[in-house]
Amino acid sequence: MPNPRKPEKETITICAYCGVGCGFKAETIGNEIVRMTPWKDGKSNHGHSCIKGRFSYDYYRHPDRVKTPMIRASIDDPWQEVSWEEAFAHAASEIKRIQAKYGRASVGGVSSSRCTNEEIFLTMKFVRAVLGNNNIDNCARICHSPTQFGLSATVGAGAASQHFDSILQADVIMVVGANPTEGHPVFGSMMKRRIRQGAKLIVIDPRRTETVDSPHCRADVHLALRPGTNVAILNSLAHVIVRENLHAPEFIKSRCEWQEFEHWAELVGSDEYSPENIGAIAGVDPEDIRRAARIYASGPRSTVYYGLGVTEHSQGSTGVMCLGNLALSCGMYGREGVGVNPLRGQGNVQGGSCLGSWPHVLTGYRFVTDDATRSSFEAEWGVELDPEPGLRLPNMFDAALTGHFKGMYIMGEDPVQSDPNQNHIIAALRKMECVIVHDIFLNETSKYAHVLLPGSSSLEKDGTFTNAERRISRVRKVVEPLAGYQDWEVTVKLMNALGYDVQYAHAGEVLDELARLSPAYSGASFELLDRVGSAQWPVDTKAPEGTEVLHMEQFPRANGLGTFMLTGFVPTRERISEQYPLLLTTGRILSQYNVGTQTRRTANSQWHPEDVLEMSRGDMQVRGLHTGDRVTVASRFGATQLKVVESNRVNPGIVYTTFHHAESKANAVTSDLSDWATNCPEYKVTAVEVAKVKPDEKSRARTDTAHPAHREHEAEALVAVEDA
Amino acid sequence: MEPTDEQPNVSGAVMKLELLIAMANQIGDFFSPYPPERATEGLRNHLRTYWDPRMRSALLAHIDAGGEGLSELVVEGARLLRDDAAEKDGYYGPPKR
Repeated sequence: MPNPRKPEKETITICAYCGVGCGFKAETIGNEIVRMTPWKDGKSNHGHSCIKGRFSYDYYRHPDRVKTPMIRASIDDPWQEVSWEEAFAHAASEIKRIQAKYGRASVGGVSSSRCTNEEIFLTMKFVRAVLGNNNIDNCARICHSPTQFGLSATVGAGAASQHFDSILQADVIMVVGANPTEGHPVFGSMMKRRIRQGAKLIVIDPRRTETVDSPHCRADVHLALRPGTNVAILNSLAHVIVRENLHAPEFIKSRCEWQEFEHWAELVGSDEYSPENIGAIAGVDPEDIRRAARIYASGPRSTVYYGLGVTEHSQGSTGVMCLGNLALSCGMYGREGVGVNPLRGQGNVQGGSCLGSWPHVLTGYRFVTDDATRSSFEAEWGVELDPEPGLRLPNMFDAALTGHFKGMYIMGEDPVQSDPNQNHIIAALRKMECVIVHDIFLNETSKYAHVLLPGSSSLEKDGTFTNAERRISRVRKVVEPLAGYQDWEVTVKLMNALGYDVQYAHAGEVLDELARLSPAYSGASFELLDRVGSAQWPVDTKAPEGTEVLHMEQFPRANGLGTFMLTGFVPTRERISEQYPLLLTTGRILSQYNVGTQTRRTANSQWHPEDVLEMSRGDMQVRGLHTGDRVTVASRFGATQLKVVESNRVNPGIVYTTFHHAESKANAVTSDLSDWATNCPEYKVTAVEVAKVKPDEKSRARTDTAHPAHREHEAEALVAVEDA
Repeated sequence: MEPTDEQPNVSGAVMKLELLIAMANQIGDFFSPYPPERATEGLRNHLRTYWDPRMRSALLAHIDAGGEGLSELVVEGARLLRDDAAEKDGYYGPPKR
């Protein structure tokens, strides 16, 4: 029988899941998507795709989609469906009331890396120009904010130095705290291709991941370090490089601040960071540290790819600096096949970082405290801007608990599920008077919201995304937005409702505005992207079609030189104890995406129906556990229940889980510790104990039990959870 | 009604003091390998550039009240926030007046 579902039309767009940003042809019949096929001219995927982009698109028409705006006076009231106009009017009057009563700084907003550059830019503009403060953050706060901080500090740009294809010229690939074969599969395949051609692979990760050992992928050295010892290990690699004179003095002299190199070499070269000393702390064979250092330094082209296993630590920013230091010391910058490259979890984390959706910087990482930067925005927007940094996302919740923060516009984010210490977030939201959630589903956070604005998925809107290799690509509207508006239009209408008059004929005009205000994007336009397909920033007069490799001649710092940061190892305060003797760490799996809001609403769930806890045989035996048992995972902060499976991928003393299902509640267990520089939460290290669920506990709902003595405000939070 | 900066209905520190103390000490830990003058300057610049002014003033108020629980480096560095002469380029390009 011939296929009766022959597509009528195809639209070139990109997959909005991970930071690879694969180009796709979305094939439609009328207003219905019938197939997604990878686009052979997509420059980040060259016609390849993974099972998320290829198959996991049906969430866009899932029955759970919200189609009508809703409001309510209190979170204990039922939702009331209203017109868009009523919803905007209600939100605007509440924000005005709150600002009049509690001050201009009592409200703020957060944008999402699942949204387009144009939407992120407009959310930032909404907070700064309309709300009149700098309480604007992006969800990159909880994943890659240390990347921006650590790489800016060392090499001047918080972004990948290379394009993905550059890995095909690498001789040595070092993967740190990432698992590209699962998390970034299309890039992972390219990495495997290079490994098959003979490139050496070093993996630094507590778990024997699929990147360490799977078909076509075997690490020459795997440093299976204890969670929380990244900085110690990376300093120890540096120790070997400095002590054995493996560094590149010519490069350092011509491209870096030599004096800072000497300070750094003194620190990492000290006995404190000897492989013997650090090997004992990190649970790694000292000889493996030496081997890894020698392989990396010998190159001749060594490249680093890293993920949240580096950033989500109390020394996350320091860990990123370590990678910058290491690459500079060995001259691994400014060529093809080298560099330091963050692998971004969400499709537009890089855009979220670039476009000023941070409390302290405007676009292009320029400080709000800088008069010249501010005045260029003031001239464009016709308002005076606040010269002081605003509250970061975790600080907004902290300030809500003290009554200083009362209202919030949450675009495409679900802090209750995604942010650390769920009880704390819920208690904070309960103290707010107007929470505006703008999302495609009624997410966990919407339980505590007063206004619900229906969102549009990336298949229903126009705009651009910037992927992990700085590539700006067009997102094109494939089907009509289910609730009538694209997200950027909703933000504009919210601005209008608050009395700020601005109009855009289409999303391309927003890109034009942000290009005028962001040097690295100055040459970007819909016209350019339609013509060349995509372009990597900086795209400007010097590089009208973009830039593949950064730092070829100099680093974007004031003196053009790279620098070395002093990266002392400070152990996390999260330690194992008699009561909590195991360390929990987390990761993700190929078929699902983050907290699963989208992928769980597609048939992809059949590949990964639930999250499980991986545990070593010995740890299971002493606890009398067997694969398939239901166990309680308890920390000082809370508890959850999971199914346990025996695994040789984790060392004794370590347990591991994914976090794709809301009911797993991994964030009820994780701590409230965070990165010293950015407050990025320490998701990757939590001391826990695991015990078999007793038969009488199985019938009970899975509840969170925070230790009441640990934090005072938790008592209040506990009540909140029980009410929920 | 025009929004104002006055907050008639809000008082007290913007965040729990324990959180601010813990955060400030972590920043101090990072800068401690630097020579003393650069360490205090780095800490000051970090607070100036990344902390909401309400967080800074709550920390300074705590220092005025004795600064219990804060490392010496944090106390010295935070005090520079009141010194206009310290307003200059630091490690991460904080503001010039």
